[in-house]
Amino acid sequence: MAYIRAQDLVIEFPIYQLAHLSFKQAVLHAATGGKIARDAGNRVVVRALDHVSFDIQEGDRVGLVGHNGAGKTSLLRTLSGIYEPMEGRLEVRGRVATLLDFHFGIDPEATGYENILLRGIMLGLRPRDIKARMPEIAEFTELGDYLDMPVRTYSTGMQLRLAFATSTAVAPEILLMDEWLSVGDATFSEKASLRLHDLVKRTSIMVMASHSPKLIEAVCNRIFRMEHGRIVEQESITPRAVAAAATQELASLARNEPIG
Amino acid sequence: MLDAQARVYNGLAESRAVRHAVEDVAGGLATTHLWALLGWHDIRQRYRRSVLGPFWLTISSAIMVGTMGILYAKLFNQDIARYMPYLAIGLIVWQFIATVINESCTVFTKSDKMIKQIRLPLMTHVCRMLWRNVLIFAHNAVIIVVVTLFFLNVSLAGALLSVVGLVGLILNCIWVGLLIGVLCTRFRDVPPIVASLVQIAFFLTPILWYPELLGNRIALVKANPFFHAIEAIRGPIIGTASYMDSLLFLYALFLVGAPLTLLFFARYRPRVPYWL
Repeated sequence: MAYIRAQDLVIEFPIYQLAHLSFKQAVLHAATGGKIARDAGNRVVVRALDHVSFDIQEGDRVGLVGHNGAGKTSLLRTLSGIYEPMEGRLEVRGRVATLLDFHFGIDPEATGYENILLRGIMLGLRPRDIKARMPEIAEFTELGDYLDMPVRTYSTGMQLRLAFATSTAVAPEILLMDEWLSVGDATFSEKASLRLHDLVKRTSIMVMASHSPKLIEAVCNRIFRMEHGRIVEQESITPRAVAAAATQELASLARNEPIG
Repeated sequence: MLDAQARVYNGLAESRAVRHAVEDVAGGLATTHLWALLGWHDIRQRYRRSVLGPFWLTISSAIMVGTMGILYAKLFNQDIARYMPYLAIGLIVWQFIATVINESCTVFTKSDKMIKQIRLPLMTHVCRMLWRNVLIFAHNAVIIVVVTLFFLNVSLAGALLSVVGLVGLILNCIWVGLLIGVLCTRFRDVPPIVASLVQIAFFLTPILWYPELLGNRIALVKANPFFHAIEAIRGPIIGTASYMDSLLFLYALFLVGAPLTLLFFARYRPRVPYWL
């Protein structure tokens, strides 16, 4: 059974001012007897998560909403284990896949096939698993012989297809997403949305940050409203897009809404 | 990344427990498929669309060793049959050491996107960097083999001992890479300091010159860890008197450096993603 339990999570980023990021400063402070680590006067701290608590159960589809800088991405990174919380307790059970920026890790000089392999292993797949899934991924991209060509020869749309097909080849129990992945061109985007929806259906838990209220209402059964690093409101709703028929709607939603 | 059990985080103090550092190091070493592929990919990327590919490394090193060998043998008035293998091994091992130390400075800062994107042991990034340099060394090692076979009669025991020395060097590179990597992520002034120290170390280490030329100042050489790192590999092949000391020094250094670095790493490991 997959679950996520969080209690009083705190994430703080130290902002080292230019002078403070340097070694010289630390040595000088040490030499003059000041404590480097507790230089409270000089150190600015940004609190990205401020005592956040929640309980996510198997089957939950959580939508994170809030303004830029509300802490959505920081929360996703914390759940994925990238940022280990400074205070509070976090318990995560289940294999996690994190799709924060699905353009990440594309090497323009490598071929399509090489990129699928590279991205796949970065997402935590084993080389043999990727090789086994290669025909399916390749077919989904509809790129054909282009997969043997360096990715720099691709159009933006083709690169998106490649990145999308590989990113969605994962089979996690917990899926963490920054925005509903969407792919521009109209015919492909419907197919992509169907694939993503299928992936979400197969996972036990999904946590997604989005700026689109409609999208969240369509997919999620719980909404966390975030402000200044706090969850100010947790509400439960009935997702509208439980049926596969709604994927068309999802596709158009994802296309029309601004990303970011 | 199969998590059969729940991952539990309990605040920064708990994240700093030494067992998490041990898990990171062991987990990083275990992700062989990842760092081996990425390290190899780094080299392929550098030499894409070139016909000879990574063998350019071999060629440029061969030219350097060849010209410097002839020039310095003449300048120092040395027997080329003794000087050439001495220089070839020293120079190529030094290239490995210098590149590893310099690339350790950026081992996390250059992978910042990847670190903030997926949860991986930090050790994976160190392994990738090391593997890339081991592969480069392997390309250059061809020169060592050719030069020594041409000028010297190497015993099998000598060659094997030299490999033992190489393993000792790589073991030390693991903790040095981790230590410098973390330090340079926090203090962005350290990389230039390291770069200039490495440059000075090249001249202070007996690579171009023989240690006995220092006469009664030989202690300067004996205190230099870079000398022992090179001597442990070079000595058994060319047959010096004191290579055993260097071999022992190298493994003793690992036994001291690795646990201390582990304690350091345990304390600062959870902070690295925050500093990027």
